[in-house]
Amino acid sequence: MATIRTRGTARRRSARAPRSAGEWRITTLTGLGLLVLLAVHMVANHFVVKSIGGLRDYRQVLAYIANPVIFTIESLFLLFVTVHAMLGLRSVLLDLDPSPRLHRWIDRGLAVLGLVTLAYGYFLIGTLASRA
Amino acid sequence: MSGQELPGTERRDDQGPVLRKGVGIPTSGWFDPRGRALGGFAFAVNRVTGLGLVAYLYLHLAVLSMLLRGGSAWSGFLRLATSWLFLSLDVLLIFGILYHGLNGIRVALVGSGIVADRQKALWWALGVIGTLALAFSAIHIYGSR
Repeated sequence: MATIRTRGTARRRSARAPRSAGEWRITTLTGLGLLVLLAVHMVANHFVVKSIGGLRDYRQVLAYIANPVIFTIESLFLLFVTVHAMLGLRSVLLDLDPSPRLHRWIDRGLAVLGLVTLAYGYFLIGTLASRA
Repeated sequence: MSGQELPGTERRDDQGPVLRKGVGIPTSGWFDPRGRALGGFAFAVNRVTGLGLVAYLYLHLAVLSMLLRGGSAWSGFLRLATSWLFLSLDVLLIFGILYHGLNGIRVALVGSGIVADRQKALWWALGVIGTLALAFSAIHIYGSR
């Protein structure tokens, strides 16, 4: 039986895993959530303050973040933005068509980066709120 | 069988270049703007703004870390942050947020099948909304000086 060498087998490429429906759904839902949370964040944090660039001074920032409603919104915002960012980064990196081994390292690396980002972000929010 | 052949059957065995079909990512990558339709261009800009916003996320966390060092460190940053150049970067940031967010709405609506055949019209309509929002934000930011 003859073996036909096609152009496709000349350069062996890893089989790219298609983006799952679940991943698309999470990216879309966190994206839609971000639109709401970001709008609240921008208006409450920058557009209602009467100062250059809508930037608060130190005391104002502490009072702002200590407000329970704002604290909850900012906490949710951090969670949504981190999940959305990690899924977006993963999507960009997987478009580079990595090998299955590298694919696993990308998943692990982004999971760690996301957790570190969340941990530091919550540490920052919590510390500042406790100083008010 | 009716005896009718499918279109292109006679060329099935021809040798030649493989023609790229649809608006998928060309072999040169999503960041290559050449020969793109509107959908491909929107996708590439969405990626660039997304990467920019991820970079900004970490820059923002780094800047907010100055608050941990107390009021004097934050006041020093405020002097820099209220300069004309820095406020211009704020406007650039808002452009990135608006483009990525509004294009995300378009992708969600098209991808979920709600308005699958209106993606160009949607791009232009959201583009107008985004431009107006950007103009409002720029006036607010520069007007605060």
